[in-house]
Amino acid sequence: MSTAVPLVHLEDVRKIYRVGDQEIRALNGINLRIDAGEFVSIIGPSGSGKSTLMHLLGCLDTPTTGRMEICGNDLSRASQNTLAAVRNREIGFVFQSFNLLGKLNVVKNIELPLVYAGVPAAERRRRAEKAACDVGLGDRLSNRPVQLSGGQCQRVAIARALVNNPQIVFGDEPTGNLDSAMGVLILEMFKDLNAAGKTIVLVTHDPDIAAVSKRVIEIRDGIIQREYAP
Amino acid sequence: MNLAVAFQTGLLEIGAHKFRSFLSMLGIVLGVSSLVSTLALTTGIERGTRAFMQQVGGLEFVSVVDKEISSRMYDFANLSPGRTLRDAYAIRLASPLISHVSPELGFGAVVAGGGHSDRKQVLGVFPDHFTVARHELLAGRFLCDLDIERAARCVVIGNTICQILWPNDKPPDIVGRTIQINDRPFAVVGVFPKYERESDKRSKVASGKKTFYRRAKKVYDPFGGKNESVLIPFSTMFYEFRSGAFPLDSMDSVRIGRLTLRVGDLSKFRPALDSVRAALNVTHRGVDDYDLDTREEWFDRMEASIRATRLSGGLIATISLVVGGIGIMNIMLASISERVREIGIRLAIGARGSDIFIQIIVESVTIAFIGGLLGIVAAFGLIKVLELIAPSENSPVMTLGAVGFSVLFAILAGFISGIYPALRASRLNPIAALRYE
Repeated sequence: MSTAVPLVHLEDVRKIYRVGDQEIRALNGINLRIDAGEFVSIIGPSGSGKSTLMHLLGCLDTPTTGRMEICGNDLSRASQNTLAAVRNREIGFVFQSFNLLGKLNVVKNIELPLVYAGVPAAERRRRAEKAACDVGLGDRLSNRPVQLSGGQCQRVAIARALVNNPQIVFGDEPTGNLDSAMGVLILEMFKDLNAAGKTIVLVTHDPDIAAVSKRVIEIRDGIIQREYAP
Repeated sequence: MNLAVAFQTGLLEIGAHKFRSFLSMLGIVLGVSSLVSTLALTTGIERGTRAFMQQVGGLEFVSVVDKEISSRMYDFANLSPGRTLRDAYAIRLASPLISHVSPELGFGAVVAGGGHSDRKQVLGVFPDHFTVARHELLAGRFLCDLDIERAARCVVIGNTICQILWPNDKPPDIVGRTIQINDRPFAVVGVFPKYERESDKRSKVASGKKTFYRRAKKVYDPFGGKNESVLIPFSTMFYEFRSGAFPLDSMDSVRIGRLTLRVGDLSKFRPALDSVRAALNVTHRGVDDYDLDTREEWFDRMEASIRATRLSGGLIATISLVVGGIGIMNIMLASISERVREIGIRLAIGARGSDIFIQIIVESVTIAFIGGLLGIVAAFGLIKVLELIAPSENSPVMTLGAVGFSVLFAILAGFISGIYPALRASRLNPIAALRYE
């Protein structure tokens, strides 16, 4: 039994979608605990429920039934505003398609979470610039995303995910849109982050990518089928 | 999310779609410019009307007129001495609320001088007449108390009379010359300037500059009578021209023509009229053969027509602002459905629904505000064009209040039309919005 603080605690979590008369059980009783400092991968084929699980873990949604605690907040029945606040403070997202705002330059993109956290402008700028330098983009601060390569975009996204100093960083197929060399580089960054103490959760369909983590959770048909250390 | 950032984002969004934003602003631009110019026009008309009201004596002007006596008084009609100088004395003594009392004694006479002559109405007046009739002096002096006491043969004449008698001389030079009234010599001690309406002055200036606009026919001139004044002391009038007509009358008991008054303080208008009635009731021995004619009704009608103009203009402007608001709503709806993914990203990194709501509202208000500013610029141009087309009309007056009101109204239109799109945007599901392509 680990003595570490549980960052994620799921108890018999189910997510059921209703499409017309049909009931789709996307998650069918998940029990999961992730502690601080872990590096976890969630893998599974498409339709397995891994995206739904990530949406729950990322506080984008609430479960239909079951108990969900993220970073000490019971979010089983949380309102959209509570979810937004937890997302903002505790969670950083890195998406497959970067999801940067094309109209904003690198610094402004990285600043966004701080804007919604209510951080004053000068402090925002300082922290965003520091985050950009940390991912090695100190010289591209005023570039727009279209002027950057895919790998650079993903580094901006990582900087954005980290700028609010969240407890968990989620990567949703973070290397899916990158060539393999760049993918390796990005995975290295995740590894370094984990080594520095961040909790990382990767969602992927690729066992090779999952292999960089310390704990792999395989999902199929809405339940955890097996769990192993690579 | 703070407003400054929302405003910045809004400007960025507007800048990214300049033409589309301009189109959506157009309605607001038209609405605000029509609102501002309508307000300016009506303010101009109002100022012109008020200036005219002041010129003709203002609301303070009251005149004592004859009235058909009521049937129950019919038998006592002869008791009343009618309108006489005694009324004027009584009012002056009894009513401190009346600042000036001007009795007049009129007489049609031949006025001659400079080789010309014409039949004109000559008035015998008191010094108060100058204030009550709102005269100004071009040169010389007005009649004074000493003229009354000595029944001096002096006269003050209007501009038109000067033109008739000495068409080639400037009116100020006429002071000191002698004119004949029914062959009796009178010294001209003062000359009045030419009284005219502001609009007539302007049309003269305009037609002097440009020839395409000219008043074709002679129209009613409210100052015609004033310009034809031939004013002599009341006492002179009585002794020189009127005493022979009614040998039994003294100056005090002769029936006078007009009796006009000026109320000192408009806030005490009603009490002033009451005190005048009380005084007249005594001098007329209780016979109600007099009435007080005020300009209240006339002025009220003018005010009402100003209000009507303003209301109809305001209505048109309001409708176009509403149409402009609908335009903004349309564009905002198009804009958010184009930006679903962006909104999803913002939600995913911690924006609350209210943050998105504020952002959309701020954008729509910003569009409306910029549209309002452009509208004011357009209104400036519109007013210049109006002045060019009709230079003699009351010139439009743009007040800061009207401009502020119009901009506030535009902002309100932007706010209201932003509510629905903002609500839709803020209720987006983050997951669905992120997947949206």
